Amino acid sequence: MTPKLKKSLLYWLLLSPLCVVILLPFGIMFVTALRPRDELFVYPPTWTFSEFRWENFAEMWVKTNFGGALLNSLYVSLTSTIIAIVLSIPAAYALSRYRFSGKGLYRNFLLMTQMMSPIVLVLGLFRLMVHLNLVNSLNSLVVTYVAFNMAFTIWMLQSYFNTIPRELEEASWIDGATSFTSLVKIFLPLAVPAMVVTAIFTFINSWNEFVLALTLIRSQNDYTLPVQIFSQVAGRYQVEWHHVMAATVLATVPVAIVFSWLQRYLIRGMALGAVK
Amino acid sequence: MASVTISGVEKWFGTLQILHGIDIDIEDQEFVVLVGPSGCGKSTLLRMIAGLESISDGEISIGTRMINDVPARDRDIAMVFQNYALYPHMSVFDNIGFSLKLRKRSKQEISEKINEAAEILDLTPYLERSPRQLSGGQRQRVAMGRALVRDAQVFLFDEPLSNLDAKLRVVMRTEIKALHQRLKTTSVYVTHDQIEAMTMADRIVVMNKGRVEQTGTPMDLYDFPANLFVADFIGSPSMNFIEGIVAADNEGPFVMAKDRTRLAISRESSAALGQKVVYGARPEHLVLASGNEGFDATIEVIEPTGPNIQIFADVAGQRICALSTERRTHKPGQRIRLHCPETSVHLFDASSGARI
Ligand SMILES: Nc1ncnc2c1ncn2[C@@H]1O[C@H](COP(=O)(O)OP(=O)(O)OP(=O)(O)O)[C@@H](O)[C@H]1O
Ligand SMILES: [Mg+2]
Repeated sequence: MTPKLKKSLLYWLLLSPLCVVILLPFGIMFVTALRPRDELFVYPPTWTFSEFRWENFAEMWVKTNFGGALLNSLYVSLTSTIIAIVLSIPAAYALSRYRFSGKGLYRNFLLMTQMMSPIVLVLGLFRLMVHLNLVNSLNSLVVTYVAFNMAFTIWMLQSYFNTIPRELEEASWIDGATSFTSLVKIFLPLAVPAMVVTAIFTFINSWNEFVLALTLIRSQNDYTLPVQIFSQVAGRYQVEWHHVMAATVLATVPVAIVFSWLQRYLIRGMALGAVK
Repeated sequence: MASVTISGVEKWFGTLQILHGIDIDIEDQEFVVLVGPSGCGKSTLLRMIAGLESISDGEISIGTRMINDVPARDRDIAMVFQNYALYPHMSVFDNIGFSLKLRKRSKQEISEKINEAAEILDLTPYLERSPRQLSGGQRQRVAMGRALVRDAQVFLFDEPLSNLDAKLRVVMRTEIKALHQRLKTTSVYVTHDQIEAMTMADRIVVMNKGRVEQTGTPMDLYDFPANLFVADFIGSPSMNFIEGIVAADNEGPFVMAKDRTRLAISRESSAALGQKVVYGARPEHLVLASGNEGFDATIEVIEPTGPNIQIFADVAGQRICALSTERRTHKPGQRIRLHCPETSVHLFDASSGARI
């Protein structure tokens, strides 16, 4: 064994407890999702099963109204991500490029909002939405997700914007560009990686959000995926665990795959920033 | 092409004053170098000419047009930045042509101009590459190309060579100078490297702490530095200074150093007897003397540089440097006599630093 191999073995050994904690729920999720119903609660539990029941997914799709919830989730997550990014860009740009009084205060304020759990605010938000006549509308989720995510997106974008040399814009002004042209032709193309990365995080946050969705959405038709899956478990005499797990697989895996693919932007972003 | 007039220009950042009333007249077709130590405000002044920094007080004109309130894009200037500021997401071709595209020139004219600039700068094989795929020197040339295609009234350079290695810096220095001789565009060039200033400039402006110390041709500054700061700044290795008091005996006037070493000065000097002065002698003017000419020195360190040998020696308790072209072998600890011809001696008032 080479010393290098030994080293990596050691590291993996040290990491293995963490891996187990992270991977076990996923393992159970997959195994349960693919089993026939009567093998769910065999004792002692096993990892093996008699057949791969892909039908679980098809049955689940129909029984749990998965399609509708998926569309709701997509609508809420995509819209809130786009709005949050679009609104954050000017804020982050100003924070990164201009000097103005109260800048430090504003940044601290953004940070503070991140220290509060949404649960604390749920009651207030609910009353606000009642007042705005938005309860039971997906748009109430869009608005709150945008609000909750913007502090984070502004921070992320601003720290990336800081790495884009100011001279690039100055050079374009001297070349004859207006501030707007410079923004569109020089600055924003360079900021794409940051926007993609930030969008990924925002999307995942919105996609997984549960507490607010549970509170603000009343009718089953408007449930987002986490709430829909939860509703298959909570308050039932008989929980169809194999369906629940199949739904969970469908709710997590595609998103995980798409985003691990988009990760390349992370790397490209770093490489771009390095060019002077 | 045009002249640039800077009059009474001040710059404040909040309550901090960075520039204290700068006056410089730059003539049409002139190559002016702003030189000074780090933080003296050179870049700030250049950026004010470029329109990237507001002008707190005073006026800047290009040609006959006062440009205080003209935005950078309408000033008709081109600028080369220290870190080149090439657009990383555009090819070399598009980098050079960006300004032309913004001005809505025809496709054909744009590519003609770019190719012409690329020809001059030896960039033709690299036009399709992105800046990332270029070496430092090539990036520098692209930055030059971007300025070149503009046919601007004034070129501004902010330490364009400081990111290059020593050899390349010397090559590019000559190239920029040759380019200026060819295009004759009025240029303002900022550097903190006095050799760059000396070799490239038609006229040098020496700045210190937000003020202009002296303006003049390179040889003027070298031969007649107006004060201690300029004397120290211009020339490499820099001028030797020995403090003393003006005295005279029957051989003529001299500066008496602390340990009573006799440093001869010219009879024409206007220094008053008893005045506290600083005696300045450039290393290249200190020659090894024989007989009773000059003054005693003890060799401390010897550094051969090739063309010269730098002799560091102790004179009146101070370390001074002399350049010798002789191949004679000296040894540390050896006593020698050094002499500076009276006409090459610089005298400065000890309290004000001004040239006498
Ligand atoms: N935006 C700013 N706010 C406050 N002070 C500034 C600002 N920009 C520059 N300064 C100060 O102005 C002074 C001059 O800066 P400048 O960049 O002009 O120096 P420089 O002569 O170009 O130096 P160098 O050779 O290091 O580039 C410095 O002391 C700097 O700290
Ligand atoms: Mg500078």
